[in-house]
Amino acid sequence: MRHRLAGLNTVLVLLPISVLAQATVEGRVELPKSHSPPVMVKRYEIVTRSGGVLSTQPPLAVVYLVGSFPKPSSPPMRQIAQKDLTFVPSLLPVQVGTRVEFPNLDDTYHSIFSYSPAKRFDLGRYRPEERPIPSQVFDTPGLVTLRCDIHDHMRGLILVLDTPYFVVTDADGRFRLSKLPSGHYMLKAWIDSKTTREQSVQLTGGETLHVDFP
Amino acid sequence: MKLLRVLSFCLIASTARALEVEDFFDRLDNTLTIAAFEDNLRARLSGTIDLEAYHFQQPAPGLIDSKIDNLFNPRLTFFLDAQAGSQIYFFAQSRVDRGFDPSARGAQVRLDEYALRFTPWDDGRFNLQVGKFATVVGNFVKRHLSWENPFVDAPLVYENITPINDKEAPDSPLDFVRRFEPASKYEFNPVIWGPSYASGISISGRLGRFDYAAEMKNASLSSRPESWNVTETDFDHPTFSGRVGFRPNQIWNFGLSASDGPYFRSEAEQTLPPGRSIGDYRELVLGQDVSFAWHHLQLWAEFYEARFEVPRVGDADTFAYYLEAKYKFTPQLFGALRWNQQLFDNVPDGTGGQLHWGQDLGRIDVAAGYRFTSHTQLKLQYSFQHETSGPRDDNHLVAAQLTVRF
Repeated sequence: MRHRLAGLNTVLVLLPISVLAQATVEGRVELPKSHSPPVMVKRYEIVTRSGGVLSTQPPLAVVYLVGSFPKPSSPPMRQIAQKDLTFVPSLLPVQVGTRVEFPNLDDTYHSIFSYSPAKRFDLGRYRPEERPIPSQVFDTPGLVTLRCDIHDHMRGLILVLDTPYFVVTDADGRFRLSKLPSGHYMLKAWIDSKTTREQSVQLTGGETLHVDFP
Repeated sequence: MKLLRVLSFCLIASTARALEVEDFFDRLDNTLTIAAFEDNLRARLSGTIDLEAYHFQQPAPGLIDSKIDNLFNPRLTFFLDAQAGSQIYFFAQSRVDRGFDPSARGAQVRLDEYALRFTPWDDGRFNLQVGKFATVVGNFVKRHLSWENPFVDAPLVYENITPINDKEAPDSPLDFVRRFEPASKYEFNPVIWGPSYASGISISGRLGRFDYAAEMKNASLSSRPESWNVTETDFDHPTFSGRVGFRPNQIWNFGLSASDGPYFRSEAEQTLPPGRSIGDYRELVLGQDVSFAWHHLQLWAEFYEARFEVPRVGDADTFAYYLEAKYKFTPQLFGALRWNQQLFDNVPDGTGGQLHWGQDLGRIDVAAGYRFTSHTQLKLQYSFQHETSGPRDDNHLVAAQLTVRF
């Protein structure tokens, strides 16, 4: 009986420790120089949106932990909207199996498609009030480039990852990836389709590791 | 044969290395886009490489100018799009090819379009544009470039040559009808010559569900490409055109167009009846257009009634229309079908009788296209043209077009 109580005490004591045992990685990714914002082609049509500087995001990176992790019990759901003739967000990392919805928030047609090997699809033309919101399941790891058949300047990226642990950096390249399991892993920083940096990391519960990707 | 091998190699390579090809063109796009003044001035250079091959019967259909049955027509097109702030937009289109329309002639370089647009309000209620640019009439202009057009050629009304000759007035009604020879068809004119890149000024805008556009150009809709340059044709005899569009929702788009202006070139002046001038003979066009888009299906239709005031003849009327459908079967494969028809009215023969002034005809176009990547596209087209009056000549055309855009 004493033995049992001692065991229970151990479990109770360890519970908050197991929460605390989750590791954190933070640091900074050296981002490439920002390239020029796109020019909207409007030779043969009236574009009612501002034709000025488009609200494109600066270059961003995705930092993710590589390892063997359990699949999510239910498929996650995310959204990339088409708003003001851009994709919002312009870069979305998702775990394999995620369903991504593509709501059209503009007062005009979009025609979203991808010819990327990781996911080929074409949603065709649909209105803002289209229900259900057109969506796709991304079940193969890789980079998916989103384009619009009508608005040539629109570009969006979905990075399909085989891990639940990922985060998008801020515009300065800073990131913080928390609630990570302890152990030895590879930490990667996806910067663009040609550039992925990596470092091996030893994560210890309750500790914060600082990693930079120069 | 060599060309086919090269084409096949390029296609296989681009399909197998699709990701790398896409990546290359996206990086090229970034490289060809420049910005200054904190991104308030931005310019982008882009373009297309078109390799077209035609096989047809003589006389060559439409605006194809070739005495042999097979024609290879390569074309390099550059586009410049520039934006200064939110109010100034400039675009230009320059081509290197064998003529504005497919022809067996030698290479030439042209500046087909250039225009400066001023947009004072962000909501697009008013735009002012000056330069040399496509007409505001109808709905074909938006898809007339090779990447957007589901077919290799244009609808019949934009390329079917009629007995109208903008260089010389006819001597009589009989001369008007009988002088037309397919062998010298480049002396004659269609109702609308392609996208009609004439020079001038336009206003346009969008007000709620309505949009409007009006233009004053130096040449009529039927005028030949040489007439579109402001150095060739001044504004002594301008053409006025306009379109009003109604878009009840994103699915439907309806438009009404009209155009009115003299169609003779200056060299025709001396062939006109005494006391008459170029301004006395006009081309009047009324058009209705409709488009529909829903998921992977797109439909377009245009209907044109045209009247040419012909010296020593009277009014020569014609009606032309087409119905066009495009459907995407898969993300990369699409098919398209188009039915075109042009009907000609009678004109007085001068002796109390009537003369049919052109050959009525119908044409069906079938096309399939495949996008290997978002920068590479192959289209195949078959057309069958049948005259329903006159000598009832038929014509079969097979065309292929490989487009690489950057």
